[in-house]
Amino acid sequence: MTREEIFNKVQDIFRDIFDEDDLVITDSSSSDDVEDWDSLNHINLVSAIEKEFKIRFALGELQSLKDVGAMIDLMVQKIA
Amino acid sequence: MNIYTFSDIYEGLEESFDVTITSDMMDKFLDISNDTNPLHVDVNYAKEKGFKDRVVYGLLTSSFYSTLAGVYLPGKYCILQGLDIQFSKPVFIGDILTISGKVKYINQSYKQLEIKAIIRNQNNEKVSKATIKAGLMDE
Repeated sequence: MTREEIFNKVQDIFRDIFDEDDLVITDSSSSDDVEDWDSLNHINLVSAIEKEFKIRFALGELQSLKDVGAMIDLMVQKIA
Repeated sequence: MNIYTFSDIYEGLEESFDVTITSDMMDKFLDISNDTNPLHVDVNYAKEKGFKDRVVYGLLTSSFYSTLAGVYLPGKYCILQGLDIQFSKPVFIGDILTISGKVKYINQSYKQLEIKAIIRNQNNEKVSKATIKAGLMDE
């Protein structure tokens, strides 16, 4: 799966979690940019991504992520 | 009350319990919610609409999803974080309900469980199903 394919699937997950069909994320998007990205929705995001891509994150990995792009890069490593 | 800690939990873990619905429960729910819809409080109206008796509040029966998480699975250390419910059949006073739940997914990083839960009546008919998201506060 290419980075772009992963990114597009992650965007769909964001749209589903935040109930915004036209939500557009970028590599630099973070919780500051999405109004409803609170702690519970963050857990929902991580769970949805883990289930969709059949991967698991460690808490330490998640805490070091500064934006969506860093998360996608980590996912590329895990899926490869 | 069960006292599961996060390390005790595994995907596939199940718990269940039974409850009999009483008219007293309906009175108490009416008092709390002030939901005076005649389907729940007027037996004649309910019969006119094709039901054998007044229909038990869906959120009364769903309150047992709270009990499932808070008392049985995982029990003491639960913090309820989400509940998605679908109703499929009416419940009536006197019904004996079996509330059951099974852990389907564990978010290891944030200690959140996803529990698939079902309520069946005494005829083994599914009256509702739910997805419960529950955190663990044990450590």
